[in-house]
Amino acid sequence: MAASGSTRRRATPRERNQTLWFWVFVGPFAVGLVLFTYVPLAWSVWLSFFDARNTVSPTHFVGFGNYTAVLGDAAFRDALGTFAVFTAFIVPATYALSLALALAVGRLRRARAFFRSVFFLPTACSYVVAALIWKLSLFNGVRFGLANTVLGWFGADQVAWLSTTDPPWYWLVLVTVRLWLQTGFYMVLFLAGLQRIPPRLYEAAAMDGARPGWQTFRHITFPALRATSVAVVLLLVINAFQAFDEFYNLLSDARGYPPYARPPLVYLYYTALGQEQNLGLGSAGAVVLALIIAVATVLQARWFGLGRREEA
Amino acid sequence: MAVTTISRRRLLTTGGALALAGGLAAACGSNTGRGGGGSKVRLSQWYHQYGEAGTEQAVERYARAYKDAEVKVQWRPGDYDQQTAAALLTSSGPDVFEANGPTLDQIRGGQVADLTDLVQGVRDDFHPAALKPKIWDGRVWAVPQVIDTQLLYYRKSLLEKAGVRPPRTLDELVDAAKRLTDARVKGLFLGNDGGAGVLGGTPLYAAGLSLVTDDGRAGFDDPAAARALAKVRQLYADKSLLLGAPADWSDPAALIQGLTAMQWSGLWALPQIQKALGSDFGVLPFPADGPSGRPAVPVGAYGSAVSTRSGQRDAAKAFVKWLWVDRTDYQEDFALSYGFHIPSRLSLAAKAGKLKEGAAAEVVRFTADHGYAQPLLWTVASRTAYQDALSRIIKGGADPESELRSALRTTEAELRRVQKKS
Amino acid sequence: MNRDMGDALIRVGRALRLVLLLALAVLFLVPFYLLLRNGLASEADITAPGWTFFPRELRWSNLRELFDDPSVPMAHALLNSALIAVATTLGTLLLASLAGYGLARIPYRRANAVFYAILGTLMVPAAVTFVPSFVLVSSLGWVSSLRGLIVPTLFSAFACFVFRQYFLGFPRELEDAAQVDGLGPWRTYWRVVVPNTRPVFASVGVIVFIGAWNAFLWPLVIGQDRDAWTVQVALSTFTTAQSVNMHELFVAAAVSILPLLLVFLLLQRYIVAGVERTGIDG
Repeated sequence: MAASGSTRRRATPRERNQTLWFWVFVGPFAVGLVLFTYVPLAWSVWLSFFDARNTVSPTHFVGFGNYTAVLGDAAFRDALGTFAVFTAFIVPATYALSLALALAVGRLRRARAFFRSVFFLPTACSYVVAALIWKLSLFNGVRFGLANTVLGWFGADQVAWLSTTDPPWYWLVLVTVRLWLQTGFYMVLFLAGLQRIPPRLYEAAAMDGARPGWQTFRHITFPALRATSVAVVLLLVINAFQAFDEFYNLLSDARGYPPYARPPLVYLYYTALGQEQNLGLGSAGAVVLALIIAVATVLQARWFGLGRREEA
Repeated sequence: MAVTTISRRRLLTTGGALALAGGLAAACGSNTGRGGGGSKVRLSQWYHQYGEAGTEQAVERYARAYKDAEVKVQWRPGDYDQQTAAALLTSSGPDVFEANGPTLDQIRGGQVADLTDLVQGVRDDFHPAALKPKIWDGRVWAVPQVIDTQLLYYRKSLLEKAGVRPPRTLDELVDAAKRLTDARVKGLFLGNDGGAGVLGGTPLYAAGLSLVTDDGRAGFDDPAAARALAKVRQLYADKSLLLGAPADWSDPAALIQGLTAMQWSGLWALPQIQKALGSDFGVLPFPADGPSGRPAVPVGAYGSAVSTRSGQRDAAKAFVKWLWVDRTDYQEDFALSYGFHIPSRLSLAAKAGKLKEGAAAEVVRFTADHGYAQPLLWTVASRTAYQDALSRIIKGGADPESELRSALRTTEAELRRVQKKS
Repeated sequence: MNRDMGDALIRVGRALRLVLLLALAVLFLVPFYLLLRNGLASEADITAPGWTFFPRELRWSNLRELFDDPSVPMAHALLNSALIAVATTLGTLLLASLAGYGLARIPYRRANAVFYAILGTLMVPAAVTFVPSFVLVSSLGWVSSLRGLIVPTLFSAFACFVFRQYFLGFPRELEDAAQVDGLGPWRTYWRVVVPNTRPVFASVGVIVFIGAWNAFLWPLVIGQDRDAWTVQVALSTFTTAQSVNMHELFVAAAVSILPLLLVFLLLQRYIVAGVERTGIDG
């Protein structure tokens, strides 16, 4: 589609010349992508058919053994379940909060830049730093944690936030840390989306008697933000799928990782690169995950009609 | 920065070697290349992070004292077992490393070198509990460095105030922890995960069972196992356990800061506790449970192993022999001068004055009587399955019997796998 | 009839909104407050019962203690992170912009196939391939080296995609004029295209820089040696280590976000633009 008719000539030497130029520009990138994405993927697929413990050049072929093992592993299925629960929490929460913030901040007359900066600033922090603050200070389980101090003011008992599975308080920690880190980012996306809505839409709505507030939002703003919404949800789901940093830093210790809140990448990390060193099983798990995410992305894109957007 | 220093050092040593080689050539008329005094073999040696101040400086001192190779010590905080496991896949890993193992799969996979020759003649001088998990196929795969004992510390004053006597059975421990707990202080600290990680098989041994029997079968296929674990769950359900402390069980901070009345920790913490609490503390083994129970004392022995990926395997072995077999003075210093560890050599342990008095002597006594080490056949997959089960029992209140059954299935499959061909 | 009431309602609503926003803003700033409070307190102040809103005495000496502590290689980790972030940013910009330009402007029969092969990798997040990537990088002998930390992360399909979309929308006239002047594609690119598309470089660059500075999983897997630790790995290691020194950890964390806070304050315009591009191009 890049080639427009005017530059295309039948002259073969010129075409050859252009092919050369194309590869001068694209070649270095393409080579690297093949080497560092396609080759590992292929290697992973290959490893997944072998009994590869403590080695990356195995000899014992096991067919689909690793696949049946990983799919039969309750821990792996739990990991997928963890991802599902986490997504169910984090996607709607981030979506709602960032949209609400964008609407509120976008309508401010004064101090708009201030609020935008405040909500956006956490994006500068890494998951590691945030997890450190959450684990050691905000939500630590002892009396000098901030959350427990606040509970103490109301006479409530200390809560071991990350160690309590019943009720699963650790979800509160995991969700708030990510919410804090990423909301500002999506708020900026929504702010940009809001700015792209033509004012005449609102003028027309006002003429039709739509009241400002919920009605306008429901019938004008929200539909107009459709493209942004689709992008936000897609990004949120993909990011939730890749969750590793905060889980690892909040929950792991020198002895390993607890059996709850273990998302897929943490499972892979411990199976393949942990002391267990079962690279065959880990590779099979990675392939399964890659397939799941590829299928999910395609389905989502189809569903939201992402392909159509480019033409619009 | 590191790059420049390294290259400068390399430059200096190479320069030195050249000068020396020139000198040798002038003196002898020939030069055999290797073995020239200046061009030492370079070895990298890994340790996990010991919490006690001074340990890192000590091991660096030992390394510097070694004349036949230039040993670079790496001190590695974090999940050490994971780091070594990953590093052994590559040739950029360590030559010599201490291992809380090595694991059976590392031995079977040929990742660690056979060190049987190194301990020849002194094999009987190693504490049997420490040496046994390092042996597979009759060969020795790591040289035990020290024996790490885990035990229960308690604050005497807090127990007295609550009118609780030091617990001798698991039931008494549950009861004591409950009575010691109030709004500000918890009764017992078993680690931030409620004990699943650090306790491991200890409650099983306390109930008279084991993880893997001597003849290579799963050792916890018994109703007593579920009964013992249910009591650990009781501790959690009573809210007697300290959870979510900034420093984990291996650090005595929680006991010293007064967050808990009793804490499960290691012998290594004894000097720190003694310094902070004076005589206001006592030590206990994990208490026995049930009619066939006995107190349980988990011992771990970090061993020094040699990577087969090492380019200088022989030099690495020679260094291990020098430090962990021959230099008993360093072994004694390492075990006793920083935190407390029991020397892995019986002859050293017998004459260690610091271990002959007070709480330390008590620990040495019950370690001798009740010490158990994780069997080599207890593979990582078995351990993970069992630990997950334990965590679900303790924290989730899952049914101990069904959880243990699923851990048992994994363990039996693993035992079949590793014993198949050998 | 009830216009006044409506106005009043709107005003109340506006005030309520402001109050809510302020409350949220305070909540969002709490973690920064904790970072400062704990970073400048003594260990005893942090663990003391009862909350002190600010330590009784601000211990700026914590900073010196941090950099003097031989067991926490903070200065070195900062240097590593800076090297990695700068190299990754420059490398990504160079490679991805060239590829994006080639895909957008140079006619080639199989350009579409190449484009979809690049786009396809977006569907398999790099994080899922860290196991095989580790295997590959380790067999190259690049574990614990800056090469291993930088090179594999340079080929960002996302950045390439953003550049391609941007160049597609870039007016062709300038390039046509350059061609008339006899410039080949290479010189056209460097003399005409790059100088006129600086904003997209700035925003992609800033986004890549932040990502590289904050990256954790890959540096954790590859940067095994202490010499190769990035700031994030160093912090994480000490969060999960056997003994925790809280005031030092917090001051270290505060130091680790300083460079990015600076970048944020100076380049917020480009960051916002970059984020917006992320969204548009999905």
